[in-house]
Amino acid sequence: MDSRISSEERDSSTPASIIRIEHLSKVFRDRSRTVKAVDDVSFEVRKGEIFGLLGPNGAGKSTLIRILTTLLQPTSGRAFIGPYDVVRQPEEIRRVIGVCPQNSTLDPELTAYDNLEFYGNLLDIDPRILDARIRELLEMVNLTDRAHAPVRTFSGGMKRKLEIVRAFIHKPLILFLDEPTIGLDPESRREIWLHVAALNDEETTIILTTHYMDEAEKLCDRIAFVDKGRLLRLDTIENLKHSLPSGDLIEIEVETMDEDALAALQADNRLTSVEVRENKILISAENGSRVLPSILETFEHHSLPMASITIRSPSIEDVFIYLTGKGLDAGGGEPASRKGRGRP
Amino acid sequence: MMRGAIAIFKRDFKKFMGNPAIIVMTLFMPIMYLIIFGNAMGGTITHIPIGVAHEDPYGNTNPLFLSTVDALAHFHTEDKPRMFDVTVFSGEATAKQAFADGRVMAVVIFPSEVTNDNVVRLSIDSSEYMIPNLIQSGVSSVIAQSGAENPLQVSKIYGDIQYIQFFGVGVIVMAIFMTTMMGGGIGLIRDRENGIIEGYLVTPVKRSSIIFGIIASGTVKAFMAGFIIFLVDIFVAGIAVDSMETFFMVLIVLFIISIGITSLVISFSSRFSSQQEYASVVAFLNLMLFMTSGAFYPVLGMPPWLRWITTINPEYYAIHALRSLILRGQMALIGWDLVALFVFSGIAITLGIVTYRRTLE
Repeated sequence: MDSRISSEERDSSTPASIIRIEHLSKVFRDRSRTVKAVDDVSFEVRKGEIFGLLGPNGAGKSTLIRILTTLLQPTSGRAFIGPYDVVRQPEEIRRVIGVCPQNSTLDPELTAYDNLEFYGNLLDIDPRILDARIRELLEMVNLTDRAHAPVRTFSGGMKRKLEIVRAFIHKPLILFLDEPTIGLDPESRREIWLHVAALNDEETTIILTTHYMDEAEKLCDRIAFVDKGRLLRLDTIENLKHSLPSGDLIEIEVETMDEDALAALQADNRLTSVEVRENKILISAENGSRVLPSILETFEHHSLPMASITIRSPSIEDVFIYLTGKGLDAGGGEPASRKGRGRP
Repeated sequence: MMRGAIAIFKRDFKKFMGNPAIIVMTLFMPIMYLIIFGNAMGGTITHIPIGVAHEDPYGNTNPLFLSTVDALAHFHTEDKPRMFDVTVFSGEATAKQAFADGRVMAVVIFPSEVTNDNVVRLSIDSSEYMIPNLIQSGVSSVIAQSGAENPLQVSKIYGDIQYIQFFGVGVIVMAIFMTTMMGGGIGLIRDRENGIIEGYLVTPVKRSSIIFGIIASGTVKAFMAGFIIFLVDIFVAGIAVDSMETFFMVLIVLFIISIGITSLVISFSSRFSSQQEYASVVAFLNLMLFMTSGAFYPVLGMPPWLRWITTINPEYYAIHALRSLILRGQMALIGWDLVALFVFSGIAITLGIVTYRRTLE
């Protein structure tokens, strides 16, 4: 695509990076307080991958996206989209990105077709192919029969699908999806995942923010965990899971804790780790189902009653809890409101 | 039941108290309405400029002429200030010229002989509301008081103009202001609240294109509103446009005022964050401009401080220009109006671009 990217491709064995962020920070100040929404974040996104920004509400994901999509200026640090600097070359960047923001920017009074046509014109798409392109996109998300209905009559899922394909109308190099499935029912979410995966097959790099682990796990090649504006960890899903004490997770809920039973469990060298969190005992082991009988025996031996027992492979959320000591839904700093919109 | 009602009351009241702009407007507006409505509509019309002249260039010593001019200059009702500002012209020709230029609203021409068969001729600018009647009754009562029995011959140079025609021309301008201020501005704020504007900003569309597009669409909407009322005036109120040139001049005036007010509204709506604040400020502004524009009632009837607002009110110049074109058919009278409207629109466009641009940053 351009000289800088291809030279990097020659230099390293990993695929070329398409987004590069260097020590990026963003501080919001108002009368009463100062919020560090993004705090010295550096990472790269590779060409063609689906990259997930995962973190609780208010972690700074949207702020990061707003900086990368040229809506906000960073307080310090630099960011590049391809060869372009987000501060110095916003116009060039706007030509190669597609953005589906968290809060809808569809015009509810216009029809689906008109909304797409409007953006097609803003994005300077060849007028001779625009009509065909709009029909193709509507077909892609099964909205052809609603093409001429006003968007305000659409369901949440339909609006979201329309907004995603609108962001894709000019076949951008990079597609930013900010919480693409927030507030949608499971059916619509699955449908949107299919579309996102399909768009990625067209060699579009996709940056996705979400606070749903299942979404990140299903879609993303690599995930960056962010919390309180900081980048906690960036890796592939596989590697992230391996960063946990290995094996399966066995979660046993108990009514009372028994120190002797705990000591007996910890003494068992087939179990990689035994931890107590509130009224749960968390055990990880290489092969969960095989060690389960002996664990149960230990409980019985100490006549410790169990309220529930689950055995599962570790999820991304477990990694997040492991990294931060709390769940993704627990929430972080300030709410992810429409801050910065209009005049901040 | 009470608890629910109290909760709802408290919620609403809390929001009200948290918004000083709304409080001020709610309390301040009715008072301003009272002051402005009361003064703009109820005032006595005084200081009407009229001209007098004598048929005979050397007849200024004519006793009827001298006594009548003196009486006209002091004519007043009850304890009000004098009704006429009398200018004495040296001859009929210069007086008629001043009348044609709009410097005086009526001209009285006295005959050389004070006999019953010599008429006193009165020409009145009939395109204003109430003023023609005041002039006519004033002049005839002054002549009657002086004891002369000369008949008064009245010519209304623009014919009989009904109030609906006088007012109808004002409504053209009001339509432009109202639709733009209420419809256009609120639409812009709503677009911003819905994040639609933010959607533009991640596309490569130029900032100047956004501003140009918004001004263009607003101007066309405002122009259409004005043009429709213009047509209604023609077909319902029965105004007549005498030539193609006048018709095009009307369109040009409508266009200048439309682009000016649209730009002003864009600048206003960029400064307000909520629809409610914007709406209350703009409703007030709209009223101020309309009441002092002379659309309802002659500007001569307003107290001086209100007339001061009139001189900086673009609506006044627009209405004056349209009345000159439509009711008087006098293109020569609108020179100053056009200058004022160009200045207003120029300032408004600059202001609109600068402030709107700031919201896009």
